[in-house]
Amino acid sequence: MVELSKFDLSARIGSLVLPYPTVALSGCYGSGAEFAPYVDLSRLGAVVLKSVTRRPRMGNSTPRIVHTPAGMLNAIGLQNPGIEWYLQHDVAKFAQTPCATIGSVAGFSVDDYAYVCERLAARSEIAAIELNISCPNVAHEGETFACDPELTARVVRAARATTDKPLIAKLSPNVTDIATIARSAVAAGADALAVVNTVRGMAIDIYQRKPRLGNVTGGLSGAAIRPIALLAVYEVARAVSVPIVGQGGIATASDALEFILAGASAVGVGTANFADPRAPMGILDGIVEYMTQQNVRRLRDLVGTANTGFANINQIEGDEG
Amino acid sequence: MRRFSDNPESFFKIWRKSLPVALASPISALVPTRILDRSEVARDVILLGVEAPELVKRVRPGHFAMALLPGGQAAGVALGIYEARGERCSLLFFLAGDRTRRLGALRVGDRLDLVAPLGNGFDCEGAERDVAIVAGGVGIASVLLPAQALLARGARVRLFYGARTAERLVEAERFAAEGCELLLATDDGSRGYNGVVTELLAREDAAEAVFACGPTPMLRAVSAYAQERNIPAQLSLEEAFGCGVGGCWGCVVPIVRTSAQAPSFPPSDADGSDVVHARVCVEGPVFRARELRW
Repeated sequence: MVELSKFDLSARIGSLVLPYPTVALSGCYGSGAEFAPYVDLSRLGAVVLKSVTRRPRMGNSTPRIVHTPAGMLNAIGLQNPGIEWYLQHDVAKFAQTPCATIGSVAGFSVDDYAYVCERLAARSEIAAIELNISCPNVAHEGETFACDPELTARVVRAARATTDKPLIAKLSPNVTDIATIARSAVAAGADALAVVNTVRGMAIDIYQRKPRLGNVTGGLSGAAIRPIALLAVYEVARAVSVPIVGQGGIATASDALEFILAGASAVGVGTANFADPRAPMGILDGIVEYMTQQNVRRLRDLVGTANTGFANINQIEGDEG
Repeated sequence: MRRFSDNPESFFKIWRKSLPVALASPISALVPTRILDRSEVARDVILLGVEAPELVKRVRPGHFAMALLPGGQAAGVALGIYEARGERCSLLFFLAGDRTRRLGALRVGDRLDLVAPLGNGFDCEGAERDVAIVAGGVGIASVLLPAQALLARGARVRLFYGARTAERLVEAERFAAEGCELLLATDDGSRGYNGVVTELLAREDAAEAVFACGPTPMLRAVSAYAQERNIPAQLSLEEAFGCGVGGCWGCVVPIVRTSAQAPSFPPSDADGSDVVHARVCVEGPVFRARELRW
């Protein structure tokens, strides 16, 4: 294990300061507790919880996962017990998680988001709220809130009115111009942006002559989408000045550093956890090794340094402090 | 001695009560192991023995392991734990895709990290004296430990084992050597019964209980067979996994809400019924046939 105390590895997401920039992504690390037997969760910046909706959801039929070259498709379909049950039975347990727990909210109307966000954000166990406006697996032909700047703004504005906790809007890569959506989310009050959710895709079984996923279409994640996600971060970082949680196929420290240099203040690890639950901790160690080599003490001094058009307010604030 | 034939009704009632279905999840760990032995038991079928003394102590029949591929970069592979004795566990798998081929490329002395043991496992402590184990293809990897446990408590164990060809009926002799009666079936008739193994099962005398592991169509047929005859059946399911430890909800199966294995979930708008999606990796992989709603 690398000596971490000599470095400032903190990452700011609105008013929330994470000790480490590594975040385990929604639906990829349970509530953290599922992975506690295998890793030291205190070496994780935060875990983003599985998305919760207003009403309970059964989720999609199986198969929900198909492994593909350099990645995987998933179509879980937001299986969750609904916000009331979640508040009564699940949320209290998150107080024991040795890292920050970020709630994730999904919905089918602007009102859904506001309703769930208000209730979840009111809980002390929840450090911040991710607005999952980009799940490709419950939408009609892939249309999500994050595909439209006005719908994105309406959801963020409605959620913003319910809480002062940091709001992270999770953007979709399945758009023509992600910078426009990013500007819209920030103008509506998002404190940070998660860039990006999965890329729509599918796979077909040639012998059964049927789509492999129960839901027919799914979201592609893993190394296959990394360059797509990296470009999205690069473009979003030039368009807005809020912190970005870069995500999409990050599996190694080198991957994570690409996102940081493109403008991400923090990095999300999703599919890589299925290859090795220790992936986020390995990434953190590798980042520190790189900082040692490069003689960089503060992680935020690296953010956006490969992006000429970058103007992240987080970095400026950090310099003042 | 209480016998099944004396009063099947009450027998099943007691059997149901005595079956601790929601066998508590094992305390699993990330186990670094070293490959002790590797053999290709048939073309494209690999048996890997690993050194894992602590794991051996915790493994129960029907448990599985997530094998983490060297170098990461692709999801781990869920494999039934084939043998567990002394200092050695073994994994038996078919080379079916990129990920299993990477596992198959490991050599003696290489390191292999396992997340194990996982899953609920088979309940082998029932009172049945006559058990049919039905295995199809790679499903054979998950039924040696239950066969050994059943034989150890004096049960008669018949292994109904089906594969595409004689060559693919790997390890059949091993089961015979353990004391199982073999009833083999191949799709091409190259060994044993010419047809699917569930046809062979239906032709023979019914057992008091059925354990099964194999492809989903086989498990569905076993389930139908067992329910028609009111025979308790434990099925170890196959499903595509993400994490294997309950964190992604990728590997679910619909089961009745009243099942002891059902996760506590309120009814949703969509189902409006008595069904809930349970995770194959945590609540399973072994489910009781009559509780499945697939």
